[in-house]
Amino acid sequence: MLAEHTDEQLLRMALDGNEDAFTALYRRRQGPVYRFALHMSGSPQVAEEVTQDVFLFLLQRGRSFDPERGVVGAYLFGVARNYVRRAREKSHTEAMMTTPAEDDDPELVTNFDPVGDIARSQTSAAVRKAVLSLPEHYREAVVLCDLQELSYADAAEALGCAIGTIRSRLHRAHEMLVRKLQNSAPARAGFSGDAARCLS
Amino acid sequence: MTCREFTEAAEALTPSQLRLMQAEGDVLSAHAGECAPCGRWLESQRLLGSALQVLRDQTAGREAGPKVEQAVLQAFRMQGFEPVAAVAPERAAPAAWKLSRFFEVGAYAAVAAALIVGVFLGEQMWRDRHVQPSGVQAAKALQQVRPDATAPADSGNQSANGMAEIAHKAEHSGTITTAIAGGRRVQPSNARAAGTDVDRQGFVALMFCDPLICSGEEQVIRMELPGNGATSAEGSQPVIADVVVGDDGLVRAMRIVN
Repeated sequence: MLAEHTDEQLLRMALDGNEDAFTALYRRRQGPVYRFALHMSGSPQVAEEVTQDVFLFLLQRGRSFDPERGVVGAYLFGVARNYVRRAREKSHTEAMMTTPAEDDDPELVTNFDPVGDIARSQTSAAVRKAVLSLPEHYREAVVLCDLQELSYADAAEALGCAIGTIRSRLHRAHEMLVRKLQNSAPARAGFSGDAARCLS
Repeated sequence: MTCREFTEAAEALTPSQLRLMQAEGDVLSAHAGECAPCGRWLESQRLLGSALQVLRDQTAGREAGPKVEQAVLQAFRMQGFEPVAAVAPERAAPAAWKLSRFFEVGAYAAVAAALIVGVFLGEQMWRDRHVQPSGVQAAKALQQVRPDATAPADSGNQSANGMAEIAHKAEHSGTITTAIAGGRRVQPSNARAAGTDVDRQGFVALMFCDPLICSGEEQVIRMELPGNGATSAEGSQPVIADVVVGDDGLVRAMRIVN
């Protein structure tokens, strides 16, 4: 029955003391928040800490959410973004982000097509490394729009900037990713060495 | 389509959208087939879209562990929210409760103050009613006093008799003399309440006196006033009168004795 409620309704009910509503909202939104933090930090441990902090923040400061300014999902991404920054500053995860553990996650490896899986796994690792090496502003735009599939408007709300800014950051980030993947051995085969634009 | 038009159109799409755009007759694809640089750029964007899709697929099922959910729900229970049944008053409930507590204390204080004032006024009225007979007795005693009386009329009216003696002595001295009666007060307002300005003891009210305002001490004073030859049949013979004087010094009632 609670599945039919919107995020805003669940949040209001949760802040009035309805535990079922809070549980439903958590289970609906914890995945995207976790994955956003995972893509931003490259660390499952940091992602779990950020997810927990985001929902604790929602408990304590959830009444500050204004439905007229946006949706709960974008609001949570904005909170998660700040906690990722804080976690990185606190635990010096910058080094970890530049050298992510590529094969430490057994869930990323499937058992059906070993050759194809290895290729996909290598491609995935290369892309993940390339994304993590992007400057933070560009990485946020790529994670939200390309990996979380948010609209430009929701991403702009989460990041507190204009839609045009999101567009320009994405364009710049894609160019940087292409260049990084061209230099990456596993993904080099697919990317040509010359991606210069013709603007005639 | 020019390369600039191609760029503007293609940049509005994400790599994933470009990857999915495989239609033969697509304008972008058509231009990419004719223009090698634009074709390479489009292909690189499609490959990027594919790579991002791989990463997205591999992390699609990733979620926080059950320990995180337990910790968050435990924190929720420690927030001390009201039960769900109390949703009806919504957010105004705490403020209303505080206001009701404030008004409750104020109501208690108001009731206590009303009780105190009521007891005070009741005590005043009770005292006034019980003192009145003595005042009437004093007035009666004064009425019984005559200037030529030499013997005590009543053992209970010693002070009145004393005043009569004083008045009698003053008569011989020819000066204006006052004598304070032993009785406390006579209420001319009672007579007014009965529809007349003349008391049963013959006192005539001289001023309007509200019982609430004129509730202080009153004294009956016998005075010897110089006679007025023009109006009095007895010429300049002094007139003896009983005067009711309040605490404020104003004369409230008067009666001619002789």
